[in-house]
Amino acid sequence: MHNPWAVALIILFTLLFLIGVNTGDLDFLWNLGKTICLSCIGVG
Amino acid sequence: MSLFRRLVQILVSLGTNAYLLFPLTGTIYTGPLKAVCHPGLNCYACPAALLSCPVGAIQNFIGALRATLPGSFPNLGAIVFAYLGFAGTLVGRLPCGWLCPFGFIQDLLYKIPSPKFSLWPPLRWLKYAVLLVLVVLLPLLWVDRTGMGEPWFCKLLCPSGTLLGALPLLAIKPELWQNLGLWFWNKMTWLVLIMGAAVLISRFFCRVMCPLGAFYSLFSRITVVQLEFIEGNCVHCLSCVRSCPTGCRPHEEQGSRECIMCLKCVDACRFRALNFGLRRPLPPPRAQTVRRP
Repeated sequence: MHNPWAVALIILFTLLFLIGVNTGDLDFLWNLGKTICLSCIGVG
Repeated sequence: MSLFRRLVQILVSLGTNAYLLFPLTGTIYTGPLKAVCHPGLNCYACPAALLSCPVGAIQNFIGALRATLPGSFPNLGAIVFAYLGFAGTLVGRLPCGWLCPFGFIQDLLYKIPSPKFSLWPPLRWLKYAVLLVLVVLLPLLWVDRTGMGEPWFCKLLCPSGTLLGALPLLAIKPELWQNLGLWFWNKMTWLVLIMGAAVLISRFFCRVMCPLGAFYSLFSRITVVQLEFIEGNCVHCLSCVRSCPTGCRPHEEQGSRECIMCLKCVDACRFRALNFGLRRPLPPPRAQTVRRP
């Protein structure tokens, strides 16, 4: 790949992904998705 | 290519909203796929949605930052930025053109016969303000007594949430009707205005208001793939400009932040002056000849 910025960003986002997985972001996201978002439907 | 893109849009929109049991169960999908974000704007309150909405997720992560208990590590939302960052770095705004269900809906709306208008260009900057103010600043700064912020983009504006989330939920849960108030009617008004504007102006919401498009556009100049312009083949017929749904001028500006990589311009160009592929390295600078006295 000829694009050093893209390579650097892909490495950065890989690190972010690993940080997210290890700090419970997946559970947070899953719990978020399991509840009905009242703001989205304009209630409350 | 145009037909193939339409097929992809249909398959992705249906495939990521494939929980068809919701009329029987009366609730939304709650399986493990909800830990993955959709690359487009697809409300996770939609009863059929299998994936989470990245914009809603970012706002909730940011909104919960100040409510983190002392001594515990905050959820930074790193995984959502990783999902979006990967997509942005690899393909820029291509998800807007190919994968976003609300983008697909706007494409269909623009096919309704009516007078068509072009967009006043300064309005394109509004989506960055929406991203900064409604998605980042308000959820972070406007918090309740417990320190929790709210997803203000979802609450105030998001037309995808109203169309794909609120209306189907209200259909299967009539008890929600008694809780509707000003917020809902505000969102319904925005939905009608945005859908009306999408009939008259191509991809109105994507170009003016979408915070996800604004985020992806930050990567437009460095994406791994790109639209390549071959100057020698161009006869300046402007068919690429006329075909572009987001008002780009592909023969003048490569890596435009407005380009959703729908590739209509590639189809429209009969002279093969536009090509889609991996970004090529810049040509080496020409060696300068130094004259000696």
